[in-house]
Amino acid sequence: MASKTKVEDINRNIYDIKDKDNYEFKIQKGLSREIVEEISKKKNEPEWMLDIRLKALEAYNKLELPTWGPDLSELKMDEIATYVKPKTNLNTSWDDVPEDIKNTFDRLGIPEAEKKSLAGVGAQYDSEVVYHSIKEDLIKQGVIYTDMETAVREYPEIVKEHFMKCVPITDHKFVALHAAVWSGGSFVYVPENVKLDIPLQSYFRLNSPESGQFEHTLIIVEKGASLHFIEGCSAPKYNKVNLHAGCVELYVKDDAYLRYSTIENWSKNMMNLNTKKAIVGKNAQIDWVTGSFGSKVSMLYPMSILNGEGAKTEYTGITFAGAGQNLDTGFKVIHNAPNTSSVVNSKSISKDGGACTYRALVRISEKAKGSKCSVSCESLMLDDISRSDTIPVNDIETDEVEFSHEAKIGKISDKEIFYLMSRGLSEEDAKAMIVRGFAYPVSKELPVEYAVEMNNLINIELEGSIG
Amino acid sequence: MDKLLEIKDLHVSAQNKEILKGLNLSINRGEVHVIMGPNGAGKSTLANVILNNPQYTKISGKIRFEGENINELKTNEIAKKGIFMSFQSPEEIPGISTLNFLKYAKNKVSDEPVKSFKFRYLLKKYIDELNMNPKLIERNLNVGFSGGEKKKNEILQMLVLEPKLAILDETDSGLDVDAIRTVSKGINMYKNDTNAVLIITHNNKILENLDVDYVHILVDGKIVKTGKRELADEIEKNGYEKYKKVEEE
Amino acid sequence: MDIKVNETPVRTSRNFRINNITINNIDIPKKLNEFKNVEIFEDKALIEKDVSQLNLAYGNGEILKENVQNEANNVLKITTNGINKQIRLIYTFDKENLNLINNIEFIINHDSNITILYKSNTNEVCFHNGIIRLIAKDNVKVNISIINMLNNNSYNFDTIDNKLESNSNVKYTIVDFGGKYSVSNYYSNIVGKNAKNDLRSIYLGIDSQIKDINYIAELKGENTDINIDVQGALKDKARKNFKGTIDFKKGCKKAKGDENEFCMLLSPEAKSIALPMLLCTEDDVEGNHSTASGKVDEKSLFYIMSRGFSENEAIKLIVRARFNKIIERIKDEKIKENILLQIDERLN
Repeated sequence: MASKTKVEDINRNIYDIKDKDNYEFKIQKGLSREIVEEISKKKNEPEWMLDIRLKALEAYNKLELPTWGPDLSELKMDEIATYVKPKTNLNTSWDDVPEDIKNTFDRLGIPEAEKKSLAGVGAQYDSEVVYHSIKEDLIKQGVIYTDMETAVREYPEIVKEHFMKCVPITDHKFVALHAAVWSGGSFVYVPENVKLDIPLQSYFRLNSPESGQFEHTLIIVEKGASLHFIEGCSAPKYNKVNLHAGCVELYVKDDAYLRYSTIENWSKNMMNLNTKKAIVGKNAQIDWVTGSFGSKVSMLYPMSILNGEGAKTEYTGITFAGAGQNLDTGFKVIHNAPNTSSVVNSKSISKDGGACTYRALVRISEKAKGSKCSVSCESLMLDDISRSDTIPVNDIETDEVEFSHEAKIGKISDKEIFYLMSRGLSEEDAKAMIVRGFAYPVSKELPVEYAVEMNNLINIELEGSIG
Repeated sequence: MDKLLEIKDLHVSAQNKEILKGLNLSINRGEVHVIMGPNGAGKSTLANVILNNPQYTKISGKIRFEGENINELKTNEIAKKGIFMSFQSPEEIPGISTLNFLKYAKNKVSDEPVKSFKFRYLLKKYIDELNMNPKLIERNLNVGFSGGEKKKNEILQMLVLEPKLAILDETDSGLDVDAIRTVSKGINMYKNDTNAVLIITHNNKILENLDVDYVHILVDGKIVKTGKRELADEIEKNGYEKYKKVEEE
Repeated sequence: MDIKVNETPVRTSRNFRINNITINNIDIPKKLNEFKNVEIFEDKALIEKDVSQLNLAYGNGEILKENVQNEANNVLKITTNGINKQIRLIYTFDKENLNLINNIEFIINHDSNITILYKSNTNEVCFHNGIIRLIAKDNVKVNISIINMLNNNSYNFDTIDNKLESNSNVKYTIVDFGGKYSVSNYYSNIVGKNAKNDLRSIYLGIDSQIKDINYIAELKGENTDINIDVQGALKDKARKNFKGTIDFKKGCKKAKGDENEFCMLLSPEAKSIALPMLLCTEDDVEGNHSTASGKVDEKSLFYIMSRGFSENEAIKLIVRARFNKIIERIKDEKIKENILLQIDERLN
C-alpha cells in the first residue's frame, strides 16, 4: 500500500504550445558590434540610443560572470539570437494581430483579462511588442502606456533622462548585455496625482527557439500618482537554452504609489537573468509581488532604493522549484533616507530535486536614521532530494534603527496533517491544503486570476499505489 | 447492547516511552463517557491513538469500531468511519476559509453529496446556538482565532460532521464559565441515542449540564476505576492521590 | 602584505561586502622563538608536543594555515584520560612574547572543562594566529571557553575545527573583546548520531576594532543539534561582520539548527553586517535563524535611569545583562570577574 504524495508540477499545457518559428527577421546568433548596430538600424533609432548600446557592449565584454550563485555554463551567447522580429507591426486592435500570435495570447487569456479587469494591455512576442492599448479616459488624463520603441521616438527627453539611469549599464554583465541588445518592453508615464484604480498589464512571450528576450520596462509614477502594474511571462519549452535578460526601471516620485506584480512562468530551458530596480521618493511606496515558478535557472533580486524620507517598500514573493530548476531569487533594499521602512515576506517550496535560494540584501545606510526593516522568510522542503538555501545579508550602518530578520526551514508539520486527516481529508489532500496555505500570504496579494492559477499549480497526485 | 467502540489491552508508546499500559474501554451507542486523570496519565494519548496519530506507536492491543478492527486505518479513514476528535490545540491552516473547509470536510466524510441549502441552514443554526461570531467562518481556519473561538469551532465542526463517536480532548481547558456552558450545550445538541461521546477533562464544570453514564479514572496508562457521575464529584473533592496509591501497591 | 581571510562557505555578490575580509599591511611573523608565557594547568592529561597532520574543512585561508603549519611556536596535543576534569591554558603577551602561533589538538575521551585565555601585559602590537582542533569522542561532554582579551592594537586569528562523534555534547563559549582585527573561523563537523553542539559567544567592539566572525556548522548525523547564539555590542567606529552557517547535510534526519544573533549599536558610527545562512538538502529537519540590530531598548534604559543610574551606567548594565547568561558558562571565577571588569572598562 505504499503510496507517495507528490505535489504536482505546474501544469504547463497552455504555456507549452509552440507556434511555428515564423519570424520576419531573426538576427544571426551571437553578439558583436555589427549585430548591435544592426538591431539599432532595424529599429531606426536615434544616435544617442545607439551610443548607449555600444557603451553597454563594451561593458559587457569587460564584465565578468558572477562568481556566486547558480551555474551559468550552459548559457552560450554564441548560440543565442538576440533579436527576432515577428511578422507584424505594433497593433492597437487584436483583429490586426496575425492569427497564430493572436491565438497564443488568447490561450494565455490576455484579451479576455483586458476586457474584464485591465486598464491597458501590452503584449510582446519574441523581440517586438505586437499589441498595445490603453483606455481612452486614461489617455485624456495624460497617462502614457506604450512600447519602449515608440517611447524612444515620441518621448525622447523623458526616456533619455531615465533610461539605464536607475540601473547603470555596468551593474552586472547581464544588464550590460540587456542594454546592448534590448528590444520591446513597456513604457508607462503616470502624471502627477493621477490614480489608476485598475491595473495595466504587459505580457511577454518568447516563442522562437535559441533566442533571447531583452525587453525594457520603464515606469515613471509622478508625484502623488498611483499605479498597479502586472507583468506576466512565459515560453514553450525547447531543448536548447533560451535567455531572458530584461530590465525594469521604476521611478516612484514623492507621495506616489506603485505596485509591481510579476508571475514568471518561463519554460524549463530558460535562463532568466533579470534585473529590476525602483527608486522611491519621499513618502512614496513601492510594493513588489512576485511569483517565480518557471525557468531552468533564475537570478532575480528586485531592488528598492529608498531615497526619500519616509519611503516604504514591501516585498512579497514565492518561489517554487521542481525537477531541474535552480531558482535563486530574493530582494534587495537600500535605506538611504531617514524614517524609511521595509517589510519582506518570502516563501519558497522545493521539490523533486529542485533548488531554491533566497538571497537578499538589506542595507540601512548612515543617512537612514529612524528606519525600520523586518524580514521573514520561510522555506518548505517537500522531499529529501531537493535543496533550499537562505543567504541574507543584513548591513546596518547606523544605530537608530529597528531591524529584525527571521528565517525558518523545514517540512510540512505532522500535526497539521493529522488535524486535517482527522476531519476526513486524505494525506495528499491535507498536504496540498497546507502547501496552499503556506503560499497563501503571497497568493492573496496576486491578481485574482493569477491566484487561481497558482492554486491550480499546487495540485496533488497519488502515484505508485499498489494494492 | 450496541457496541460502538471497544478497546482491549491497549499498549501505546511515544518517543520510546510507554504511555498506555493495558487500557480497556467499551462505549455503546447512546452513552456519554468521561475520562479523568492527572497530568501525564495518557488521556490525550488515548484520544490521539484512537485516531491513529502517527506520532504514537501501538505496541499491542485492539481498537474496534462498530466491530471492525481500526488499528491499521489511516486517520482520514477513521474519520470517515465516524469518529471525531476535538483537539486540545487546534491547528491554524491559512489559505482556506472555515466555511469552505467545513463544506469540504463534510463532503469527505459523507457518503452522499451535501445539499447546499440544508447545510447553510444548519450551519447558521449551530453558529447561533454556539454564540459564535458569524464573521468567524469567513476567516481562515483557526487563523487568528482566540483560544475560546478555536474550541467553539471544534464543536461547530463536530455538529456539522455528525460523527458516530465524538472525542473531546480537554475542550473545556482554558475556557471561561460561559464558554464551557456553550460547549456543554453543543454536546447536548449533538447527542442522541445512536451516537456517543467521550469527554476527556480535568474538571467537572463541563459535566454539569450533561447526562453522564460513566466516569473512568485514568492513572499511569490504565483505567484504575470506573463509576457513575458521583466519581467525578469525589475526584473534585479528594483529587487523584488515592488512585495513585492504588497503582503503587 | 595584504591577506584575504575568513571566506564564507557559500559566496554571494561581492557588492554585499561579506564574502571575506581583507587585512592590509599586515606583518605575518616567522621564525619565532618558543612562546614562553604560557601557563598550563591540567589534571593528568596527556600532553604531547606533536599534533596530527592538519586537515581543515574551512579555516582562515592558506597563508595563515601555512603559517601555523610551519611557524607555530606553541604546539600542544592534549589527550584527556579518565581522571582529568580541568584544563586551563593562559597565554600572556608581553614585550618578550609578542607573537604567538599556536597549534592545539584536543582528543577528548572523557568529560572535560577547558579554558583558554589570551591576554596582553603590553600595549605593543601582539599577533596571535592559532588553530584548535577538537575531537569529542562518543558520549563525552566538553565545556570549552576561549577568551580573547588582547590589547586593541593586536591581531587575533582563531581557527577552530571540531568533530563531534555519537552522543557527544560540546559547549563552546567564546568571548571576543581584544584586537584591532579579531577574526574567528569556527567549524563543527557534527557527524555522530545525537551529537549536540552549543556555541555561545559575545563580542564587544570599541574604537575602530573590527570583528570578523564566521561560524559554520554542518549537521550530518541523525538527530544532531546545533545552537548558535551570538550577542554583541558595538561602540564608536567599531565594525562587526557576522557570518553564521547552518548546513543540513543529507542524512541528518530529525536534526535541529538554531541561530540567533543580536547586535546592540551603541553609536551612530558603529557598523554591523550579518549573514545568517541556512543551507538544506534534507527534508525532515527544523532550522531557524533570527538576527536583530538596533539601539539599546529605550524602555529599559528609561526604567533603569529612573532608578538613579546615569545613561552610561544604565547602558553598561543592559550590556552586562545581555552578556551574563553567556559569561555564566565559564567555570573559572577569576576569569569571569575579569570579563565583567573588561566590559565596564571598555564601555567607559
